[in-house]
Amino acid sequence: MRPYFADLPKTALGAAYWLFAVYLLLPLALMTAMSFKDASFIAFPITDWTLNWYAQVLQDKQFIEASLYSIGIALATTAAATVIGVWIALLVTTEGIWGKAIIFALACLPAVVPGLINAISMRIFIRTVDIPTGTTAIILSHSVHAVPFVVIMVLTRLRSMPANLVDAARDLGADPFVAFLRVTIPYLMPALLGGMIFCVLTSIDDFVRTFFLGGYKPTLPMLIFAKVQGGMSPEINAMATIVLIVTAAVGLYAERLTRRSRN
Amino acid sequence: MVDTTTIRTRTAEPLRVPRYAGWIGKTVGSGLYRHTIGRLADSRPVRLALLAGVPLFWIAALHIGPIFQMGRISFMADYPPSPDGGSAYTLANYKLFFSDQLYFVPFLRSLVFAAVVTLSTLVVVYPVAYYVAKIVQPKNRVRALLLLLIPFWAGELIRTFSVIMLLANRGAVNVALRELGFIDRPIPMLYTSFSLSFGVIYLLALYMLLPLYSAIEKIPTQLVHAAADLGASPFQRFRRVILPLSKDGIVSGCSLVYLTSVGVFAAPLLLGGPNTVIFPEVIATLFHSSNDKWPEGAAFSMLLLAVSLTTVGLFMRVIGGRSVRLM
Repeated sequence: MRPYFADLPKTALGAAYWLFAVYLLLPLALMTAMSFKDASFIAFPITDWTLNWYAQVLQDKQFIEASLYSIGIALATTAAATVIGVWIALLVTTEGIWGKAIIFALACLPAVVPGLINAISMRIFIRTVDIPTGTTAIILSHSVHAVPFVVIMVLTRLRSMPANLVDAARDLGADPFVAFLRVTIPYLMPALLGGMIFCVLTSIDDFVRTFFLGGYKPTLPMLIFAKVQGGMSPEINAMATIVLIVTAAVGLYAERLTRRSRN
Repeated sequence: MVDTTTIRTRTAEPLRVPRYAGWIGKTVGSGLYRHTIGRLADSRPVRLALLAGVPLFWIAALHIGPIFQMGRISFMADYPPSPDGGSAYTLANYKLFFSDQLYFVPFLRSLVFAAVVTLSTLVVVYPVAYYVAKIVQPKNRVRALLLLLIPFWAGELIRTFSVIMLLANRGAVNVALRELGFIDRPIPMLYTSFSLSFGVIYLLALYMLLPLYSAIEKIPTQLVHAAADLGASPFQRFRRVILPLSKDGIVSGCSLVYLTSVGVFAAPLLLGGPNTVIFPEVIATLFHSSNDKWPEGAAFSMLLLAVSLTTVGLFMRVIGGRSVRLM
């Protein structure tokens, strides 16, 4: 009797884990399955199967344009957020500067403000400084959202960096810029790559900021939102499945990179 | 062995202009660089100014600026201010909120909704985090975690959409129940508070999982064994050892989930119905209607921001976590 009772909590916890995994994965699996349905409406059960929806999505000009637009925004966002994030992280780790804790807290502010309020305050702000809604506004707001995460990722890596590496470079005659380019940046590289992929994915995924700041040109989430709100056909499922596979692959790759940089 | 003669010759001449390889070397070696940026790098105040200028400007302009401007507009009678001038600052926008049920009820609903979602997420995710952190073999831990992380990368909208597949009238659950003969007609699950909470928990569960996992993983297993040796029952071990030591993870997980679910926007649009209107939707309509209601919208946003941050602050103070860890 005893071994069974001793193992009971473990078994229950294992069951909880697998139930949770099913809870997380089942809806996505159903969504993927539905993308192969040979009918023009979304409903279970699925009796006939087809690949036509994928062919249709890949020829869909709107989808391709929205994807390219989203990718462009994501790349610009990543460039801006990485530069600013590294810059802030360097400032926060510099010796002998007053108020570093405050600077760090303010740098992280956009991460604790709820997304909707972030978007609305940015909408008000761009009207104040006369930036029209559209690409520039979207990139700005996505960058503001991404900066705290870059700062934190870079700081984690910087704190594990032996201080004497830069000192050694300086002793050997490198000026601060050269030391930064030749020593600090290479050391940060794994964290930077992970952070950059994270920026790309959060930007491509972002809905609420684009909703308030976007112009007439739809990004990928806006397009999917419009299609879900309009009539539903398995075409959305095919579209979503393609996006899911691409982003999950990129995300898993980023996860591996950051994990390696921590070890 | 080290050749002493070469060392002597090297130390004899000071390394004034070091030789670098590659494009960096060419740039640094050029006279143009040495007389411009190289000169700047020699003085500490200039270096500090270069280091601090852009970050401080960015933080002031884009992190504080928008919130500040939103706060300012929330006290204005008209926005943009009417041309006939006058100091048009007023408290009317805030008064409006307390005078009209139309605004007050969704606000309360939002706060209650966020609290319920946070608590349910904690209860659902805690055993899972514990299982991955303590029971799974260390070599399989990353794999067990990654399996749960896959949906995390799918994106907010796609996950929300996939919940519709599950809960719609002709979705998987209803069809399965009908095939099994439990029901004759579908149970309406979509566009209710059930589908909304289900969807939001689905969206945010991973924000809870990661902080909890990293907190529980740090608990030394010996402590739990020691408690067991001293006669603590499994429940006592959980209550007296594991729970207090995972407090940091609970605090940061709950804060993250609460703050995100207070401002959740896409999910109510797709999964909610007329009875589940929560505050973000109310605010959004004030910004998207053709007639200008920005000051009211700004005031409501300020209220939501203040109340949610205060709630989280109080929660952190009461539970006694040190700080919110963002990742």
